Amino acid sequence: MRLKLISCEVLFREMCDVCAHAPHPVDVEFLPKGLHDVGSRPMAARIQEAVDRTPRGVYDAILLGYGLCGNGLDGLTARHTRLVAPRAHDCIALLLGSRQRYQAFFEANPGTYYRSTGWLERGKDVQQLSHDAIGVDQSLAELTRKYGEDNGRYLYDALTRYCANYSQLVFIETGLEPDAKFLDEAAAEAAEKGWRFDRLPGDLEWLRRMVEGVWAESEFVIAMPGQRLVASYDTAVYEVKP
Amino acid sequence: MADTDELQEAVIKGDAKAAAAATQAALAAGVTPLSIVTEHLVPAMDEVGRRFECQDYFVPEMLLSARAMKASMEIVRPLLAASGAEPIGRVVIGTVQGDLHDIGKNLVASMLEGGGFEVIDLGVNVEPRRFIEAASSRNAGLVALSALLTVTMPAMKTTIDAFAAAGLREKVKIMVGGAPVTEQYANTIGADGYSESAAGAVALARRLAAA
Repeated sequence: MRLKLISCEVLFREMCDVCAHAPHPVDVEFLPKGLHDVGSRPMAARIQEAVDRTPRGVYDAILLGYGLCGNGLDGLTARHTRLVAPRAHDCIALLLGSRQRYQAFFEANPGTYYRSTGWLERGKDVQQLSHDAIGVDQSLAELTRKYGEDNGRYLYDALTRYCANYSQLVFIETGLEPDAKFLDEAAAEAAEKGWRFDRLPGDLEWLRRMVEGVWAESEFVIAMPGQRLVASYDTAVYEVKP
Repeated sequence: MADTDELQEAVIKGDAKAAAAATQAALAAGVTPLSIVTEHLVPAMDEVGRRFECQDYFVPEMLLSARAMKASMEIVRPLLAASGAEPIGRVVIGTVQGDLHDIGKNLVASMLEGGGFEVIDLGVNVEPRRFIEAASSRNAGLVALSALLTVTMPAMKTTIDAFAAAGLREKVKIMVGGAPVTEQYANTIGADGYSESAAGAVALARRLAAA
């Protein structure tokens, strides 16, 4: 078996780990984390391009290292090689090892921000996109410079009000962290925003099963050549359509 | 009329002070409160929506225009009420249970207000029961549901189903929106309407209110 993995770089360390331990070769292509911020259609188009670049007849399957990610995988079409994607809403579920564990934690802990090594070290350069378009993450000084004192202050209040909706920041620890740098950075971010800080053990077994080729129907969706992945907005996350 | 053109300009530029001044000037010149809304604020916000759609404007500009429009509305609203003018409709709006995102929802709420609606904003993480209570007690004909996560989108269906279970589904029109929400999903869950943008949400609410 030979597999191709197209993955978001937010899972860089985790994917490198599971691929290093895979029983067969996995060729990996990471795409920028910034795709998360460009909107679902441009994101799906960029991933489709990567799928379409994959040479015919080389791989047993193309793995997608993504969750549905706000519909960023909706409509992806398998050309000559089947596509395999985990039935996850987003990468937090992938880091926690199951959709059920994420759902349970999500429901029991509304108002949680999640961080992982990838969320801390990847794609900061492309955050500029959401920065300008939505205006979040801009300092009061930046906003008043751009929009004047009165409007700048108003925008700052309007755009930071979301912080009050959140109560905690959770660092997902996979054991791949080389030192305490990531944990410290996440804790500092929580302190700055006035949120409680906690850590949660990650679980890479789901990703491991993906690269090992153990694709249970309950955990993975498979689109055969000519089929596409369609978001189903239920517990299955995806359905497959011609 | 020069004064009211200034009003439109102030709203489009997001200048709340200028919008309030232009509103006072227009009223002093004899423009009716109702035509301030329908002939000036609404077209100004339509223009803002158009600029947003062609990515000339982004969320900060939209928020500032909504703020300027509100400054004008605050002057006009008591006059409208005194003259017995009813709002176009009453909308209960909120982000569905489990979801805490509110920038888009707030924008839609502001735009609806500027579009002549009375808006009852329930905030974020709103349980179905609270939507139902607010819609019944405030006699609102419209309910607007927002979600930013695919993981919380099913709460839109839960909310719509709860209206049905309470025997109130026929009494309200329910519109849905939010980045991952699609027209097809809106149809699947039995919503009455979907809009891709905040400006479109106002047009949709007008259509639903008139239906």
